[in-house]
Amino acid sequence: MSENNLHNEQKLLNLLEKKFILKGGSVRRERRVEVKVEPKEIVPVLLYAKENSGYTAFTHMSCVDWIEDGEFEVVYILWHPEEKINFFVKTRVSRDNGTLPNIDFIWRQANTYEREIREMFGIQFEGLVGREEFILEDWEHMPPMRRDFDTVKFVEKTYFERPGREDAKDVREYVQERTDEELPDFAKKYSRD
Amino acid sequence: MYNDKESQKIVDIIQNYARKHSLFILAYGTGCGAIEIPPTMTSRYDAERFGIRGAATPRQADVLLITGYLATKSLKRVIKVYEQMQDPKYVIGFGSCTINGGMYWDSYNTINVLDKYIPVDVNINGCMPRPEAVIAGFVKLQKQIQEGKADGWDKYKKNLDYYKENQKKIITNWVMPDFNW
Amino acid sequence: MREKSTTLYIGPQHPGITGNMMVKLQVEGDTIVKAETHVGYLHRGFEKLMERRNWLQSFTIVCRICVPEPDPNEENYSRAVEEIEGREVPERAKYIRVMTLELARIATYLLWYGGQSGSAGLLTMGQWSVGDRNYILDLFEDLTGGRVYHMYIWPGGVRRDLPEGFKEKALRTMDYLEKRLDDYDKLLFENSIFQKRAKGVGIIDKNKAIEWGVVGPPLRGCGIQSDVRKDDPYEVYDKLDFEVPAMEGGDVWTRALVRRFEIRQSINLVRQVLDKMPGGEYYNKIPNPHKWTIPAGDAFVKTESARGEFGYYMVSDGGNKPRRVHVKGPAYVHGITLLENLLVGENVADVSFIMNSLGTCPPEIER
Repeated sequence: MSENNLHNEQKLLNLLEKKFILKGGSVRRERRVEVKVEPKEIVPVLLYAKENSGYTAFTHMSCVDWIEDGEFEVVYILWHPEEKINFFVKTRVSRDNGTLPNIDFIWRQANTYEREIREMFGIQFEGLVGREEFILEDWEHMPPMRRDFDTVKFVEKTYFERPGREDAKDVREYVQERTDEELPDFAKKYSRD
Repeated sequence: MYNDKESQKIVDIIQNYARKHSLFILAYGTGCGAIEIPPTMTSRYDAERFGIRGAATPRQADVLLITGYLATKSLKRVIKVYEQMQDPKYVIGFGSCTINGGMYWDSYNTINVLDKYIPVDVNINGCMPRPEAVIAGFVKLQKQIQEGKADGWDKYKKNLDYYKENQKKIITNWVMPDFNW
Repeated sequence: MREKSTTLYIGPQHPGITGNMMVKLQVEGDTIVKAETHVGYLHRGFEKLMERRNWLQSFTIVCRICVPEPDPNEENYSRAVEEIEGREVPERAKYIRVMTLELARIATYLLWYGGQSGSAGLLTMGQWSVGDRNYILDLFEDLTGGRVYHMYIWPGGVRRDLPEGFKEKALRTMDYLEKRLDDYDKLLFENSIFQKRAKGVGIIDKNKAIEWGVVGPPLRGCGIQSDVRKDDPYEVYDKLDFEVPAMEGGDVWTRALVRRFEIRQSINLVRQVLDKMPGGEYYNKIPNPHKWTIPAGDAFVKTESARGEFGYYMVSDGGNKPRRVHVKGPAYVHGITLLENLLVGENVADVSFIMNSLGTCPPEIER
């Protein structure tokens, strides 16, 4: 993987650095390019990549909860069908009442991704049209994919406890209680301490 | 004239013999166990030699096969379907998710113990059960039918309040009529 | 006299749909005017479950995301973990992984045969092809121990080596399947009922296909040659010799033909892999799983499954458990936006036919 093999990937970074204000960008390996922007630059950067540089395929859109920084990170992934390069666009938005621009006039399938992120994380998209309920039905609690939603407490409150697990213990204690067997050496070495 | 104890027993024996040899399964794949139903119904592990075949609507089916876990959105529809089926009807719980929650026990959207919401007659364990295990489960159900012990439908009618209270605890938007036979 | 439009629910309990989802239709006479999909009947919250389990425990639950074809999920998970950590995989393990993936692809196509012809009313095809699929599941049982959910491909290699006598058994199965493909042709593709029903139904426009996010056999059925195994190659696909079939047309008939030609390519790939497999180790051992941490970073990997392009986006924060794993299946776009657009103007009787041909599988839409 020599330097001149990454020529196509570097070309895109140079073009973008001339036209927009970027917070960071790099070529990670062959066929992977990454760029970090502010939320108001998302629509210009994506439109430029689609119409001028040929990144016509919208592959994926995802969201990560960084609760220690108080922010959500949203990632858009695009694909160039001829030069075969993946392009990542990353942006950060605040956890309390964050809003992002709506991109489903550029690609129609982004509507589904945005509806799911709105339901699971609670980020609002300006001008998004679509039914509120997508996957969950009659859900009145916090958006479930946030990191401060505790699933085990929710399950203990709502559903029945599963039978047969009240006295679950380590199998080594079990063996020594039921028989007078001495544990072999290889069984003693495994440790989860 | 034919209501005395001996002739009732003969009528029961003939009725149960006919019922156990023609079980129609409702075509509803509720969870991930539905991938082992096509191999059970096709040429290698042929289930039609036992009289088992598929039915299209709840009014024509005898057995409701809950293949795996149930999300709460699915549980509402399963209750509607179960109440539309006609007596006598049987429920088979398929896989370890119906017994104690399986590997999704700590998920916010799936129920743990199916027996508290609708009555279950036979449980088949495994993840997924093999087609031979599925047929063994059906043979056990057939034995229970012959002895007259597969009476989940009767239990549901007699203890309706208990089941409804469990169901309404989870399903908050109750838009279905309460059944009263 | 104008006809009134009615609302029909092709709901979760229906013998014709490919899983547990609902399609709500507005119908005028026999023609569909508007369609709306409702999903969410199979939601388990996989991504929340994986945040509570450590790196090795998450690998055991990943294969149940896509029910007919579990192996691309394990492959994607393992490759994402290896890319973030920088772990090397031995050559023999890569060849065994390719063989497992191709066998899973053939098994899924045989199950698709049954679904597609069953929704047209031709039920014998399903009995033949699902019965033959059991021979491939027997091979999987010898190799991994389970018929449907294997849990075989894990970070660092594969779990076990090939057992004795596996190579001869696999080659015999491949010869048998190749002879049966001619029988399937006579039964299904030369059948005039199937031809009349399939030609001209569910057409995807070639100029807009990539922009709408179409991937896999529906995209190749429009005439565009696109396959992740050639575009973004992984494992040892760049050393193996195979073709990617593509045909013009964009309707259900060409999609069925594209899948038919791909079965033959997969059978050849399995024979090549068994021929060229090197010796050596099959596993690069991971440390104690309870204390195994992976440095911070993120990765996006793609695999070609039988229904399209499967993607995983994984983020690690330097700890014992994954921070975020986001799974994107091919049916996420095919089953919601594309289906709602293709169904307008078609007959009600063709809804299940088109769903089978696009390959919508609800468990991977809502995980």
